[in-house]
Amino acid sequence: MQTIEFNQLGETLYYKKLNNGLDVYILPKKGFSKTFVTFTTKYGSIDRTFVPIGESEAITVPDGIAHFLEHKMFEKEEGDVFQKFSESGASANAFTSFTRTAYLFSATDHIYTSTETLLNFVQEPYFTEKTVEKEKGIIGQEITMYDDQPDWRLYFGAIENMYHTHPVKIDIAGTIESIDKITADHLYTCYNTFYHPSNMLLFVVGNVDQTEMMAFIEDNQNKKEFPEPTPIERHFEEEPTDVAIKDRVLNMDVQKPKVYVGLKAKRVDLSGDEMLKHELAVQIALECLFGRASNFYTEVYEGGLIDESFAYDFSLEKGYGFALIGSDSKDPDKLVEAIKNELKKAEDPSYFDAEAVERIKRKKIGFFLRALNSMEFIANQFTRYEFNEMNLFDAVPTIEKITVEDIVKEFDTIQGETQQTVFKVLPMSEKKA
Amino acid sequence: MFLTTKLANGVSLHIRQTSQFKTVNFAFKFSRPLTVQDAAERAVLANVLQHSNAKFPKSAAFRSYLDDLYGTVLYFDSAKRGDLLKVLLNIETVNDEYLSKGDVLNKVIDLIKTVIFEPNFENGQFVSSIVEREKEMVKQRIESVFDDKTRYAHQRLSQILRPNHPASISANGTIETVDQITAESLTKAYQTMIDEDQIDIYVVGDVDVEAIKSQLQSALQFSDRDVKKPENPTTELKAEKEYTKETQDMKQGKLHIGYSTPIFFGDEDFPKMQVFNGIFGGYAHSKLFMNVRERESLAYYASSSYSSHYGLIYVVSGIEPSKEKKATEVIAEQLEAMKNGEISDLELAQTRAMLKNNLKEALDLARGQIDIFDQYKDFNEAFSIDTWTKRWDEVTKEDIQKVASQVKLEAIYFLCGKEDSQDANN
Repeated sequence: MQTIEFNQLGETLYYKKLNNGLDVYILPKKGFSKTFVTFTTKYGSIDRTFVPIGESEAITVPDGIAHFLEHKMFEKEEGDVFQKFSESGASANAFTSFTRTAYLFSATDHIYTSTETLLNFVQEPYFTEKTVEKEKGIIGQEITMYDDQPDWRLYFGAIENMYHTHPVKIDIAGTIESIDKITADHLYTCYNTFYHPSNMLLFVVGNVDQTEMMAFIEDNQNKKEFPEPTPIERHFEEEPTDVAIKDRVLNMDVQKPKVYVGLKAKRVDLSGDEMLKHELAVQIALECLFGRASNFYTEVYEGGLIDESFAYDFSLEKGYGFALIGSDSKDPDKLVEAIKNELKKAEDPSYFDAEAVERIKRKKIGFFLRALNSMEFIANQFTRYEFNEMNLFDAVPTIEKITVEDIVKEFDTIQGETQQTVFKVLPMSEKKA
Repeated sequence: MFLTTKLANGVSLHIRQTSQFKTVNFAFKFSRPLTVQDAAERAVLANVLQHSNAKFPKSAAFRSYLDDLYGTVLYFDSAKRGDLLKVLLNIETVNDEYLSKGDVLNKVIDLIKTVIFEPNFENGQFVSSIVEREKEMVKQRIESVFDDKTRYAHQRLSQILRPNHPASISANGTIETVDQITAESLTKAYQTMIDEDQIDIYVVGDVDVEAIKSQLQSALQFSDRDVKKPENPTTELKAEKEYTKETQDMKQGKLHIGYSTPIFFGDEDFPKMQVFNGIFGGYAHSKLFMNVRERESLAYYASSSYSSHYGLIYVVSGIEPSKEKKATEVIAEQLEAMKNGEISDLELAQTRAMLKNNLKEALDLARGQIDIFDQYKDFNEAFSIDTWTKRWDEVTKEDIQKVASQVKLEAIYFLCGKEDSQDANN
């Protein structure tokens, strides 16, 4: 077991790669009664074309399958796994993102029982045609629920605009039609390919003894047999750098127009320290330009172009990346103009002011320190960072080192008219003839 | 767990020293009886105080200063609890210990004094242009409920269940009441808040208790006040209509059902109702989840919540509009089963374990410690996990059957698409 110390933060992390390839991390937290455990596979909605384990030809599976699989993991021959967690007073959950599927629980008692439940239910698939059919009704309602959410439609609309071929533009849950095609065989194929321990990470944070917990996990894993790990071959079509669609509108039964300006990233081949620096620099740049203390914010706020829903964010993974800036707005076109105008000004390297950059760096450091009170943040973000060969605990020292020059250089990679798209959700009455 | 000091009549300071967190949390809770006019005023007031103050009359300068204090989070908010209306000021700042340099905590205490006692006044009252803009923001917040169909359906059901009652009054007021606010009326509301509200101040973090107590005592000069208690509503508590269907352009059907119970927060039977709700629809092992979702595949979500300050229970589910009748039946069957005492040992054990776990987990958060202490102090007893665990452990199947038999269906609200409305009741 390796020990990794983060002195300034007062945290110690323990790590071991088990014989079957599983990465296990344990972060003991003194003074807390809770423990939070996540078991995550590097498999998400974008992994739709791949070579199944033990085969040589790539296949494309129905959209929404990673999420469908996540749902079906909870049903076993003997019943629903939630029941078992509840017995131990553990709150269990799971989520599927573009690149990850995570299973998790939090509890204050019977931690070993629930850890065992977690490891076993994720590693013992049970799919039948009957249970697969039954789930279609449930997931169908989940899809319909999202269909009615204007903020979700706005988010996906903007991503669809940006991407020509990359599957990030496909809704994580798929569609009613695509999930209808899913069979138990599909689920086994995806499961066997992506749920090998060597493609997974277990993170334990909370009120635990690292030595005892590590031994417990190792013992559980040593009792199980897995095939030899093989590298997973994923296929993606070539994606042009520019956006696919410049401007699009969706009409929904809403009272307020909503808009996103999307900026499609050009640097999507990064990993490790380079990626960490890039992503933090772009986030700092966005905060400089659009943050609450910015001139831009003051103008659009005082001009009544935005409300409390105004937000901006930058997402980056291997193969795709984008920034989104937007708000509910009485005059979405004017807001778009103001955002584009601000981006235009930021093309001038001298636009980023050193003092503002230092201030935002301090704010960002404070954000990370506050976030380290949250076990959910630590476990989820650590896993995401690790899957991209970055380390969450390097974020603060990396922020400290970022310069104005870095910000200018990194932000430039998402700049330019060809990278920009606009997506609006408008009330029905504003439907254009 | 908290050390309480009386700063003035009606003003209490509660401090908890702990090294559990990397931050120090402050919370100020200003309370008064809830009315729709006050709700509107307090919502706008929270926004105006959040915008600027005498030291930082420009919002951007104020925000920059907070960024400089390592992104100290400071926000005003308004909320309701039972028949009380609250203005909340929450502050979270990094503990100096984790910074290579800096004297953040003292600066934050100075800033607290500024944001509470030194408002951005022009000729003795709030700046009109700021008041008008923040009125607009609150109005947009009220309107945005319509765009979130689940929240909208909940709002509609509570209006039908308890019209003109704290249960249905929004903490943001209404468009009309917000419109009536002026710089003058808002200034008056601010004075009332400072001079007349009950005030509870919380501090949680690795602080020197005596030092912070004397610092806050000298920074916050609140005067004595007699706290007003809400009057009991004289109107009859009854739903307007038993069944309401409304349509919008949407795909899913939102089935929201309201029930009443004579048991309220603080009553002796309160723990029994908590267990009842856990088994009925509070968790993933509950009857609603297991039957509406897992057995019948009718929904992605189906759950219940116990609104204990109003004696109400809400059931919510998102379904295929044509399955309204079926879903309503399956939900009714679950309550019926509980009235018949069909409660397993497993359900009881799971629910007790979850209630206990939820409470312990909440106490792992500084904000959870504050909120739980703030709520449970109304019980007039020292709060402890053991006391509550014992209460839940003592609840029997017969107890649950008895409280279930007092649960009464009051109103069903169904929101669905326009084209689905014709065939939905076949």
